[in-house]
Amino acid sequence: MQARQQRRTVIQALGAAMLGLGFGARAQAPAEVKIGVIYPLTGPGAAVGAELRSALELAADIINNGAPGITDLPFSGGKGLPGLKGAKIKLVFADHQANPQAGATEAERLITQEKVVALVGCYNSAVTATASQVAERAGIPFLNPESSSASLTARGFKWFFRTTPHDDLFVHNAFDFLRELEAKTGIKPGAIATLNENGLWGTETTKLQAKLAPDFKFNLVKQVLYPAKTTQLTSEVQTLKAAAPNLVLQSSYTADAILSMKTYKELGFSPDMILANNAGFTDTDFIKTLGKDAEYVITREVWALDLASRNPLIKQVNDLFNSRYKINFTGNSSRSFTGLMVMADAINRAGSTEPEAIRKALAATDMPGSKLIMPWKGVKFDATGQNTLGQGILVQIIDGKYNTVWPFAMASREVTWPMPKWDQRK
Amino acid sequence: MTFEILLQTLASGVLIGLIYALVAIGLTMIFGVMDIVNFAHGEFLMLGMYSAFWLFALYALDPILTLPLTVLMLFAFGMLLYKLVIKRIVNAPMLSQIFTTFGLMILMRGVAQFLWKPDFRSIENSWVAGSVKVAGIQLGRPQLVAGLGAVAVTMLIHAFLTRTKLGAALEATAADKEAAQLMGIDSHRMFSLAWGIGAACAGAAGVLLATFFPIFPEVGANFILIAFVVVNLGGFGSVTGAFWAGILVGVIEVMGGLLLGPEYKTAVVLVLFLAVLMFRPQGLMGKA
Amino acid sequence: MKALKIIVGLGVAAALLPFATDNPTHLNLAILVLMAAQLGVAWNLLGGYAGQVSLGHAAFYGLGAYTSTMLLLNFGINPWLGMLLGGVMAALLSLGFGWSCFRLKGHYFAMATIAVAEIVQIVFTNWDYAGSAVGLTIPMDKRGWGAMVFADKAPYYWLALGLLALTLLATWAVERSHIGYYLRAIKDEPDAARSIGINIARYKQVALSLSAFFTALGGSLYAQKELYIDPNSVLSTALSIKMALVSILGGVGTLFGPVIGSVVLTVIEELTRTFFGGSGRGTDTIIYAALIVGVAVFYPSGLLGGYREWQQRRKTKRERPAEAMSAPVREANVEEVAP
Repeated sequence: MQARQQRRTVIQALGAAMLGLGFGARAQAPAEVKIGVIYPLTGPGAAVGAELRSALELAADIINNGAPGITDLPFSGGKGLPGLKGAKIKLVFADHQANPQAGATEAERLITQEKVVALVGCYNSAVTATASQVAERAGIPFLNPESSSASLTARGFKWFFRTTPHDDLFVHNAFDFLRELEAKTGIKPGAIATLNENGLWGTETTKLQAKLAPDFKFNLVKQVLYPAKTTQLTSEVQTLKAAAPNLVLQSSYTADAILSMKTYKELGFSPDMILANNAGFTDTDFIKTLGKDAEYVITREVWALDLASRNPLIKQVNDLFNSRYKINFTGNSSRSFTGLMVMADAINRAGSTEPEAIRKALAATDMPGSKLIMPWKGVKFDATGQNTLGQGILVQIIDGKYNTVWPFAMASREVTWPMPKWDQRK
Repeated sequence: MTFEILLQTLASGVLIGLIYALVAIGLTMIFGVMDIVNFAHGEFLMLGMYSAFWLFALYALDPILTLPLTVLMLFAFGMLLYKLVIKRIVNAPMLSQIFTTFGLMILMRGVAQFLWKPDFRSIENSWVAGSVKVAGIQLGRPQLVAGLGAVAVTMLIHAFLTRTKLGAALEATAADKEAAQLMGIDSHRMFSLAWGIGAACAGAAGVLLATFFPIFPEVGANFILIAFVVVNLGGFGSVTGAFWAGILVGVIEVMGGLLLGPEYKTAVVLVLFLAVLMFRPQGLMGKA
Repeated sequence: MKALKIIVGLGVAAALLPFATDNPTHLNLAILVLMAAQLGVAWNLLGGYAGQVSLGHAAFYGLGAYTSTMLLLNFGINPWLGMLLGGVMAALLSLGFGWSCFRLKGHYFAMATIAVAEIVQIVFTNWDYAGSAVGLTIPMDKRGWGAMVFADKAPYYWLALGLLALTLLATWAVERSHIGYYLRAIKDEPDAARSIGINIARYKQVALSLSAFFTALGGSLYAQKELYIDPNSVLSTALSIKMALVSILGGVGTLFGPVIGSVVLTVIEELTRTFFGGSGRGTDTIIYAALIVGVAVFYPSGLLGGYREWQQRRKTKRERPAEAMSAPVREANVEEVAP
């Protein structure tokens, strides 16, 4: 492994030397730092992929060209990476089409052909699994900003770092919220049913929910799994109706989230509350498509615009994003943005593009929350590469907007509970 | 599991089954007349949905109103596709035909994403929005209208096939191409017609579906497997077979999901389908 | 014998490729080509030689991948043995498959195969012991030929090449043997074959079992290479279609057709994604699909078939120039459609 790295370094050095003027020799800092970015740009998931791409491009642009007026954001001076004599970030995008093997192939290509110094990706947990596998074998740092499968940091990898909290924490967030809500307002969750898509994410979440419910002394009456690529959700909703829960915990992607809400309305299913788990429920298309029918849903999120009152950085960067791309950040795009910032920060501190130096710098990351657009205490990785200072928040859709309702200390409004029944809404 | 829930589920199953039937009718026609399995059929559905959406979004015209226009457009598109591509593989080996329609499927999805981006679209507040309570059962109005629409179209197609000369010519070609040719029926005209009607049916299903289902480039993928199963179950080439098989599949899927767990709902349909194939290989109403 | 010399030459060149290039991406591409080719050749045993179009071969592929992986993770069984056992499992599954489905004709059979594969995928998606949708990860701590896990690409390349060679050898042996003879009879004139007493079901089953066995081996190789499998990556219908596509593109019923098909298909797929995928507009998908349609429409007997026809035409033109100019020669089974 060592010999291979040294050999690659030598080859890279020779290559760089041969390129001459533009890039300078290996010994000096390069003018350009290439980071490979692997996301679903076509096929299923392309809608999200496009947003993530925009967020990443914004981050790179801020680092390279500056963000006037946003002084708290790292690199907002726009002079590139000072630790590498002003080297600019160059993002090399690759499309994985939600296919794990394609993700691995692209990772391979980015590392060996494009000679990227690090990888960022991939949103879909299954693809992150294989792409980071390639990076681990090649000894290249891999930063994962959005995949939530807990198993990703349980593989004993040395080169894998994840900034987002994972599903275990997210399920805890939901349950903590319910317990605190009861303590604060006396509202009890009652009988709980879960409705999760039966892919990797939904299956893991289902298991976590089953494990935690008894610890919290919650009454879990039914767990429903369904195939996300479905034509109708009648059986699912009827099964829920039969179980008569007060609260539904739901993990769905965009199409099925939309379909489920419509089916709830069509079949007159009105639980006290729907507590969703991000993904489809926080997709930009969710509220746009459902309009008033989306109201009162509570969902776990990782980011919300109204948190700007506590951290003005959030509004500043969002305004910049909105001015360019005409949409706001979501939990997904804000995490991608943050991920690139963390990577850039590490490369900067490393002062070099050597993989091991970047890896060490990543492991030593200690970014305070005030420099992030996320509502986190900061970014600090533990031995498994997991950021331990992140957390989820809970938002409720009121008046067509996501309003932070938990943690209560960060909330912008009180929880409205229960949801009005369908026939009692205007 | 109350009786009410069972009845409710049954009703929902019939309604979605009618949509399946409408999608499958187009598919079975194409197969019956020219022996080609159209992998790209789900994409006709997708195009129908997008057509309904854009007419609604740009001109505020309700899908029910624009249904005939979309059907006509898709009919023309189907015939065009025949003329440009399918005509050349009419006599090619089955594998080539599969290959071609499969390629068309990917092509149409790619073009749809290219033109309209992968975002999810939806038609809200159409004339048929809302739900009604019929005999204690709650039914979504879009689904009801879609179901009725499917019945209407099926009856139209059936009447066309059995009562018009053109329809008879189509059936003749389906039954025996050479014999029909000897009687002066131009096979290629019939194939083109079949393809047009097939696309139009799927397009109609798309418009009806668009009143309650999200619209995105890959939406065809959700329906194509079920459509194939329905066609097989009903018997390749049989329009009435596809109709009843569609309803059956819809009911089995939804009831199976309710009774055995939604994660198995497709499996239930497939197992039953295999069982039927074993004991009655030509499907319920296919030619033996 | 010229053909044999070419084949041996190519084989030697192929075996030496890892020494010629140090670029892992190129080597990876070659591996993808080899793996897709091997699956195509395995599929071809049933689809090309026995004439039964299966669109559900991913069931065998996934079964192979899952068997070897589960045996490794749960019982510590060596992947080499696991791979063989996976092949056996797939062959066993194919018995049930053939028994229930062989009497179905053409399109019905194809649909039945899709249904079976989809059911297998649903089962694995919901089966906790098999990791359900979360999938299974193979650890990297043990490496080397004993564990079939490598950090470098070259060993995977040789594995894939070896597996392809083995599958080709098996196909060649079948082609030359009485099994192949009977299969040709069954494919071309099933009624005549039956009338002289050939047990059609039995020979089709042989082809199917062999096909399933080798497909499963390919699945195990995938698992050991990517070190992560889940129902979507090894059991999807899209995979089944790709296995058939590779053969169709190259030429079904020919020994090397699937290899050629794999080279063209894989290279196009990877290149279009590399050059156009980054934009996110979907241009790579469009190009890839247009190419598939183009080849299907203009070369129905596959590239190999098309090449042979072209050779035939050239040969005929050379030998009988006068005749060739007055009446175009049309070989193979492609009828021309009257305008």
